[in-house]
Amino acid sequence: MSPELLFQQALNGLSFGALLFILAAGLSLVFGMMDVINLAHGAFYMLGAYVALTVVQRTGSFWLALVAAPSALGLLGLVLEPLLLRRLRGRHLDQVLLTIGVALVVVDQIGLVWGREVRSLPFPPGLDASIAIFGSVYPVYRLFVIAFGVVLAAAISVVYRRTKLGMLIRAGVQDAEMLGALGVDIDRLFAITFAVGAALAGLAGVIAAPVFGMQPGMDSDGLLYSLIVVVVGGLGTLGGAVAGSVLVGPIDTFGKVLFQDFALALIFAIVALVLLLKPTGLLGRVRIAR
Amino acid sequence: MGGFTKENVLAAKRGYTYRITRRQFLVATSAAALAACAPAAVTPGASGSPAATPGKALKIGQLLPFTGVYAELGNSMRRATELYLKQNDQKIANRPVTIVYEDDTNVTATGIQKTQKFIDQDQVDVMLGVVPTPLAYGIRNAVHAAKLIFIDTNAGGNALTRDTPDCKPACKSPYIFRSSFSSYQISYPIGDYLSAKGTKEFFLAYANYGFGTESAADFTTGLKKNGGSVTGNVAPPLGNADFAPFVTQIKNQPTKNVYSFFSGADAIGFIKTWNQLGLPAAGYKMYGAGFLTEQDVLKEVKDLANGAITSLFWAVELDNAENKKFVADFQKQYPLLPDVFAVQAYDGMTALGEALKKIGGDTSDKDKLVKALEDVSFKSPRGDFTFDKTTHNPIQDIYLREVKTQGGQTVNTILDKIAKVTDPGK
Amino acid sequence: MTRAAPLAVVLIAAALLVTFPYWSAAWESSRFATTVLRDMLVFAIFALSLDLLVGYAGMPSLGHAAFFGAGAYAAGITGQRLATDQLPVTLGAAALVAAVLALVIGALVVRSEGIFFLMLTLALAQIVFAIAFQWTALTGGSNGLSGVGRPTLAGLDFSAPDRMYVLVAVTFLGVALLLWSLVRSPYGRALVGVRENERRMRALGYDTARLKLSAFVVAGALAGIAGALSAYSQRFVSPGDAGIGTSIQAFVMVLIGGAGTLLGPVLGAGVVMYIQRVLSSAIGVSETVLGLVFIAFVLLARQGMVGVGRAAWSRARSR
Repeated sequence: MSPELLFQQALNGLSFGALLFILAAGLSLVFGMMDVINLAHGAFYMLGAYVALTVVQRTGSFWLALVAAPSALGLLGLVLEPLLLRRLRGRHLDQVLLTIGVALVVVDQIGLVWGREVRSLPFPPGLDASIAIFGSVYPVYRLFVIAFGVVLAAAISVVYRRTKLGMLIRAGVQDAEMLGALGVDIDRLFAITFAVGAALAGLAGVIAAPVFGMQPGMDSDGLLYSLIVVVVGGLGTLGGAVAGSVLVGPIDTFGKVLFQDFALALIFAIVALVLLLKPTGLLGRVRIAR
Repeated sequence: MGGFTKENVLAAKRGYTYRITRRQFLVATSAAALAACAPAAVTPGASGSPAATPGKALKIGQLLPFTGVYAELGNSMRRATELYLKQNDQKIANRPVTIVYEDDTNVTATGIQKTQKFIDQDQVDVMLGVVPTPLAYGIRNAVHAAKLIFIDTNAGGNALTRDTPDCKPACKSPYIFRSSFSSYQISYPIGDYLSAKGTKEFFLAYANYGFGTESAADFTTGLKKNGGSVTGNVAPPLGNADFAPFVTQIKNQPTKNVYSFFSGADAIGFIKTWNQLGLPAAGYKMYGAGFLTEQDVLKEVKDLANGAITSLFWAVELDNAENKKFVADFQKQYPLLPDVFAVQAYDGMTALGEALKKIGGDTSDKDKLVKALEDVSFKSPRGDFTFDKTTHNPIQDIYLREVKTQGGQTVNTILDKIAKVTDPGK
Repeated sequence: MTRAAPLAVVLIAAALLVTFPYWSAAWESSRFATTVLRDMLVFAIFALSLDLLVGYAGMPSLGHAAFFGAGAYAAGITGQRLATDQLPVTLGAAALVAAVLALVIGALVVRSEGIFFLMLTLALAQIVFAIAFQWTALTGGSNGLSGVGRPTLAGLDFSAPDRMYVLVAVTFLGVALLLWSLVRSPYGRALVGVRENERRMRALGYDTARLKLSAFVVAGALAGIAGALSAYSQRFVSPGDAGIGTSIQAFVMVLIGGAGTLLGPVLGAGVVMYIQRVLSSAIGVSETVLGLVFIAFVLLARQGMVGVGRAAWSRARSR
């Protein structure tokens, strides 16, 4: 690999990693707080992309979609948590299973509402060009995705450290029951957490749509990749999601072009390896959920 | 449950009778599931002997995907089937037609079982459909053993209409016809054509599974016939959404002509990334099997695909009387342009209709119907249509097409025609 | 009730099950019902094997299809490569290959718990799927393995649909009987003990990791047998058989039917296959129905259909 190629592929890997971070952040947050791996996360990601499609078709504004889709998904999360998950509080494995059912319904309904054609979202005006970097052109949109990922990570970090909600979330991740005993409204906190997780999935759907397009099956691809990221990086921490996506994005990118016949197995082999050597992921906390 | 009511309304509008049989069937299998139920509750009746005589309803089973990644292909093929029936007053050779649609749900095991349902339960006279090649291979033996006439209206794997050692992964059958194409037909001729015209060196990009690798191999054979060669390849894996790593690889190698096999979402991702990474400006030129630039792709990428040269047996712009009528009728019936999948299904129905007309609608003698299908010859929207008598694969013209944007519409314009392409059958 | 009465009921039900194609022959739907029932029973074996892990040993594996797929490919490939249709050879190969694979994967996973166990089994199974999908020379790759032969045993040919059904039904009964005695044995009780409180079992002197590994291997081998039966029945193996969809399908079956019971997975397999294969023909929203049914069971009847039945039974008796 020439240095130019190496650089370009590294950029590809980083922008893919940035998208993975946006996708995985919500999954990680929900797990950290509620000990639930939300297996409907991929379905939420898919729904976000389709909501964005409708918004762009109606209004022509990508930026409006970037607000509307996460809001819609947030609302859905706000409804689903009390309606379904809350009834199984404390039974983490059952909650995980419940989300399988949610995913089946959401994906099937997306097909009924939006149809099952392959779709694509146009790049937003202003970000559809390519610019020269080191003698080669590179898409502005992919640089935007990197920047967006970095800003989002910084924003989440600030919320975590500087706000009351962040304090509650950090405390909740440590010990949600204790928070409840201290008089914090756990029901509300969990509903908000789940809503934020869903909104982040929706956000990832909007960001991904112009590059990856939309089609049936994108839900399971999104879910598998976000699981890979949080498992490699470590479940339930912001640092874990960052580390996981920064690693998985480039590894996947280079793996696919260097070992193309083993690409399918490679990434899962890495997941298995990480889990075996460090079961909690690279930056995860020890936490056994049953 | 919007879909449930929508389905019912549609069915009621079209006056299908299959819904009733399904309900009966549901009741029947519910009983079967509870195997302890008294067998006395079941109506004893003559099994076997399907209605096969003229005048009685002709029962056609169509196995298509209505859910999963290929759902839109299934919908398109169903629309074309219904258009054909509407044009023919819901009759074929004076027999009223009942279509039993089944959804393979994009799971091979389900598709195999639904085929068994056509054979055992519905006892259909003829079967059409099947989108994924693995499913066509999976049902090949069951269809052959049951002597069920099956017209494959999409799956393009070469082996289905060929002699292969030990019949692996599949092989031709007297009862299997194909109204679509073999991957050879959409890949070999363009390789042959381009290298004969002096474009000898190509870089390959294809989806890394059965159909993509087959198409790439056939293209390479065609290329080599006239001294052409392949300088390298990239092959994205299944479920790959990010094409940037692969297009970056292409951009960092010297061969400017790139032959690619992608369809649907992959094709959209590939073409968009191709432009974003500035390949047209760097002098790279895109070639491919026709699915790379079919309507489902063009309506999303529009002029980004301009200049791409692909080969297929049809294009919506094809200038012949049958195609003009087909496109107009289709658009009148649905607010959509027909796609190539619609043509495949439409021709499957037409071939069946023409064959049955010749033998008075008699489906009882399978060998007679096979013979009649072998002799079918008609003008299809794609041009002259006949089946190759040895393989039952269509003999068809292959068109070289270039994507152009004219008057705001991005279309495949016809550059040239390779006449009467026949699959080698081996 | 005397002890003999339930036994008689079970024996009669078993006999009716095995002879289904014959006593239903007069009925118009018999042939098709036979294939549906056959596939339900194949999946019932698969779900039963998963239940040994999920319901008894407390190991929620999301990668059980790896063994189903391994068995299916092993049966198909040995049959074709050795040009044999001998049931002991191909079925034995299926059980062996699946068991060895389960030994390898099991050794890696039995020490993880909860979510990590879920993720690790999923990841390792995806590797198996990827191998099946990519190793075209061995497995046929994405096109699948076609032309799998139906087996023979001591001159008895199982290629006719009714005989294939009988083979599946008899195997099903054999597996059910095996598991029935297994879960009632001290070994089975020890497994439940591990599920309930692993630390306590360790304190009592049990090698719990070894116990769990042995359960993993038994479950893997049985899943391999189910895979082989699927390969014979369909005459085809698809890489999807080893994929995550198949794993989740089995998981849903166990949960809907009732984990930790033997009847549960069988009922679950019946319901799920009915929704997917039969109901889907009538309505276009089978996934939504399946999802809602699944949610309802997880939410309202965590013990599955068996649990609902038991509760209703005890209510009726207490009245």
